[in-house]
Amino acid sequence: MKPILTRSFTALLLVASSVLISACSGGSGSATETNPDTTINDGSTLYTGPAPASEDVQRFKLNIWDNLSANNRCGSCHNATGQSPRFVRTDDINLAYSAVSGLVNLSSPGSSRLVTKVAGGHNCWLDSASACAEIITTYIENWASASGSLINTITLTAPIIRNVGDSKSFPATSTSFASTVYPLLSANCSGCHSEDAGSPIQPYFASSNIDQAYESAKSKINLDSPKDSRFSLRLGSEFHNCWGNCSDNATAMTAAITAFSDSIPITQVDPDLVISKALRLTDGIVASSGGRIENNVIALYEFKTGNGSTAYDTSGVNPAINLNLSGNVSWIGSWGLQFNGGKAQGPTASSKKLFDTLTTTGEYSIEAWVAPANVTQEGPARIVTYSGGNNTRNFTLGQSQYNYDFLNRSSKADANGMPALSTEDDEERLQASLQHVLVTYSQVTGRKIYVNGEDTGALNSSGTSSISEWDDSFALAVGAEVSNNNSWMGSVRLLAIHSRALTASDAFANFDAGVGEKFFLLFNVEEHTGMNQSYVLFEVEQYDNYSFLFSQPTFISLDPNARPGSIHLEGMRIGINGREAPIGQAFANLNVNITDSLYSSSFGQRLSNLGTLITLEKGAEGDEFFLSFDQLSSSSYNRVEAVPPAPATPSDLDPQPRIGLHRFAQINASLSTLTGISTSNSAVRSTYQNVRQQLPSDANIDGFLAAHQMGVTQLAVSYCNALVNDASASTYFSGVDFGQPANTELDDIAEQNEVINPLLDRLLANTISFPAVLGGNAVLASQPDPNDSRLELQSLINIMLARCAGSCTSTDTKNIVLATCAAATGSAVMMIH
Amino acid sequence: MHTRLTGTLPDQATLISMAQDIKNGDGIDAAYTAMENESFYAVTVKNLAAPWTNRDQDVFVPFNDYTATIIGIVRDNSDFREILYGNILYTGATSLGLPAYSTNSNLHYESFENSAASYKNDLVQQTQSSFSGLPASASAGVLTSRAAAKAFFIDGTNRAMFRFTLLNHLCRDLEQVHDITRTPDRIRQDISRSPGGDSRVFQNNCIGCHSGMDPMAQAFAYYDFSYDSDNDPEANNGRIDYNQGNQIDPETGTRVKAKYHINSANFPYGYITPNDQWNNYWRQGPNLYLGWSSSLAGAGSGAQSLGQELAHSRAFSECQATKVFENICLRRPEDATDRAKIQTMSNNFAASGYQLKSVFAESAVYCAGI
Repeated sequence: MKPILTRSFTALLLVASSVLISACSGGSGSATETNPDTTINDGSTLYTGPAPASEDVQRFKLNIWDNLSANNRCGSCHNATGQSPRFVRTDDINLAYSAVSGLVNLSSPGSSRLVTKVAGGHNCWLDSASACAEIITTYIENWASASGSLINTITLTAPIIRNVGDSKSFPATSTSFASTVYPLLSANCSGCHSEDAGSPIQPYFASSNIDQAYESAKSKINLDSPKDSRFSLRLGSEFHNCWGNCSDNATAMTAAITAFSDSIPITQVDPDLVISKALRLTDGIVASSGGRIENNVIALYEFKTGNGSTAYDTSGVNPAINLNLSGNVSWIGSWGLQFNGGKAQGPTASSKKLFDTLTTTGEYSIEAWVAPANVTQEGPARIVTYSGGNNTRNFTLGQSQYNYDFLNRSSKADANGMPALSTEDDEERLQASLQHVLVTYSQVTGRKIYVNGEDTGALNSSGTSSISEWDDSFALAVGAEVSNNNSWMGSVRLLAIHSRALTASDAFANFDAGVGEKFFLLFNVEEHTGMNQSYVLFEVEQYDNYSFLFSQPTFISLDPNARPGSIHLEGMRIGINGREAPIGQAFANLNVNITDSLYSSSFGQRLSNLGTLITLEKGAEGDEFFLSFDQLSSSSYNRVEAVPPAPATPSDLDPQPRIGLHRFAQINASLSTLTGISTSNSAVRSTYQNVRQQLPSDANIDGFLAAHQMGVTQLAVSYCNALVNDASASTYFSGVDFGQPANTELDDIAEQNEVINPLLDRLLANTISFPAVLGGNAVLASQPDPNDSRLELQSLINIMLARCAGSCTSTDTKNIVLATCAAATGSAVMMIH
Repeated sequence: MHTRLTGTLPDQATLISMAQDIKNGDGIDAAYTAMENESFYAVTVKNLAAPWTNRDQDVFVPFNDYTATIIGIVRDNSDFREILYGNILYTGATSLGLPAYSTNSNLHYESFENSAASYKNDLVQQTQSSFSGLPASASAGVLTSRAAAKAFFIDGTNRAMFRFTLLNHLCRDLEQVHDITRTPDRIRQDISRSPGGDSRVFQNNCIGCHSGMDPMAQAFAYYDFSYDSDNDPEANNGRIDYNQGNQIDPETGTRVKAKYHINSANFPYGYITPNDQWNNYWRQGPNLYLGWSSSLAGAGSGAQSLGQELAHSRAFSECQATKVFENICLRRPEDATDRAKIQTMSNNFAASGYQLKSVFAESAVYCAGI
């Protein structure tokens, strides 16, 4: 069991001038748990010497001696006749126990000499010394946990004092920027990142207003390391809208930023700022992610190696299923693997460990900290699989969009592990974010899925099942199927396979323990507070390859007798490499009083429960941090945010048409007005409902389509049909006798004008009788020449008369009037504004 | 001018009347004459507002309380800014015999649309809280209309209400207000700080919107739109739901709706919403040029005061002027003359007591070249 440091400190023990952060050892490390079988298959040693003299010697034997005494481990040298210390001697376990006493620190297994020696490169049996060290740490932790020696404390000690280093700061004016970086931005990025772009996208660092562009560009430029500027990375690494070869573009951008940076002298950190002392991440105190339930882990991957082509199984349970990386897989600085189509796969021989163990226990758990790259991949995309091909498996943890899928071959499922157990679609449990996922199986309770320590409720336990039909020839793979198909995009920060079905409380404990390496950083603020050994304590971790996470700042003194009195703290910001980070200042609005009543010498005083990301610049070992304050006790900084430059004037658009189309509802209303038929008339309403989405919905005259005209015509016909069949028709067309056949009623121009003129009048496309004061009779300049319109409509009437020639009836009269009405009212005369 | 304002041709008498006004140098009067036409409300204003009432910005949506309230406020020459914070609602007149207004149905308005009722004459101003069941202090114009709630409070995290209000009434989508330099202390836990394991995405994109949006969208923390997702997946019978003073959400332990605390494990160190206190972080930084009112505090509790903050900005006035300009002139402002006209119209909009008809009239006159 590892020491616990949860997000909320559960106890603090004071020892002399140091502060100990402690927590209870938790989880299922109870006496009834059995230790995993970690014996070595090859080269193992059979002990025949005196019995262990005490229970602790027995625990030493079980946890350390049994694992390291083999002749392919430490036993080849540190045996009864070999090199001292003889801590794995085979003749007398009690003497071996005596020899190991100086090599093991049960209260801090990771700092044991046994571990540090191997970590330093001393005869590791693997290619990675850190993997061997991690395995031995696990052994010692198991011993410590069994003996109750693990006190789970972390000692806060005063860090070294660093003054904030020098750096470059942005000049007040944009002059140098304008001649170095801006020309590239303006030439290549203004199509989007400018106010006058067609679809403007912030930030406007290519604005035509250089001051505006300069302000927006600052957060994208790294003066201390130009190649790490966001501008360069966006082109070189992310291939974002390069204007040519991305690599060349990135080089050109870096060169421009370098020229800009070179024009700026190195300056001290702003002397007016109220700042703490500086720290690097490695100055911090390691806060291990203890508290995990790992009693029955049989395969464990913490990905601490950080390079190479092997991810080591550091469970300490042999044989180790070391995973070979292939394809597009990369290491993450914060411990983990990023899968972009590649996979990590173990040999079938060592993978058989899973078969051997899990078919014996009849239950297991797959636990992982994962960050899916998206919520669109499916298949299911294989996160972890123990399988033989696309359609044969023992188990698989996969992703289908927002769901985790758990496939398990059993007596109640097929050889492909189907049917799968999945989280509920509606709940969208899977997010493209760092998540803890745990799936468990037992013969009695079936399968379960826990996400972020919470039981998702997904469960299929209709009676008992068995996994005795598993296949022992399969391989364990991560990130893709063993066939390389169904690859999964995302990162895995930790993977553990347990030989037991973990409980709900175990699931929460392992989620709560978190993942990755965390540090406590103590920023000295004594010079401002006057309080002896006073610090702002941050929990800091490298969050991924690009950022640090700073969380839960706490004010604390290492002097147990010091009291704060009343200290006002306001506006805290995190600085990196000599300047305040431009992005992520989540504590800038902090405004708290640190008082005796709220302060505890054990816990300090929590300043905020928030956390924030600070962009990584030089790397975990190179970046230097400090804190600044607008006010801390009597020290204050008058922060005045510069007024940003006013937005640039948009550039002119190309000239647009001054005319446009009537839109759907306007057409409907216009036809109603022109015909006098109400829009609520049932026949026209029905037609309108059918065609309204076919009518123009945009006034842009360039977007007019034949389909639009068809819709307009249908609606015009509907209105005109309603009109000619309505009693009002005889008034509307007062000169037309609808009882006469067409060939007598509409056979001359005067009669045809009795149909045409009422329509043109209402279309305001005829001569209009304006009062004399307005100029008398006139034709609207915006409407077509009435004579032209009239000729067109007369031509239409004559064509229709010709069709019924010799047999025209009064029905034809009505039809011709209807057609003329539709042609006139559905024409461009009505359609165009 | 008449067809631009109403979508229909005038009769000859109206044409002559308008011509006389114009002859007398009073184009504005002519425009007001045109706006007496029923189609100005039934067609122009109705279809201007319809896309604001749904996420797809679909104009072919049924008539609803959001659209009705916009039409009514325009018709009555009320202060148009009240659309975002007034305790106001328009319903069909009782004399129409329509089904009564209902908090869980749009039938009243759909019946209005399918009848021969007049959008100009048959809409009646009401006190929203007396119909919606919300307290008067929680009634914020169209923001708390049933249609807006159905579109923007449904499911999700209520950020949609903020985004679409910004889009529809300040004429800016989040891309245009992106500012990564604001303090991210109010970004909720559900926003992944490392989407897909890449925190650059958060640090350079997500943060730019959420740092300003989340502290303002907090104003809607007590609102939800409840519906039966099994039997009514389209939420046609859903209703706006608001936690009043004594209503505690069992999942949050406060009046804050559970949706504000969802996906809390995405970033446990994110902000945990405790109430509906909102703050406008965009009063500093490049978004100060949205022109926030100096007579307001830039902070408050609930939707009503947030609506006022947004509606009293210069960007709101300019947005209304721009939308009307584009609706009437059938084009975007394209040059310095057009842009100056938008400024003039915004000023005159304010001077008129924010009567939107004044903006319609000015646009019509301007684009008619009078």
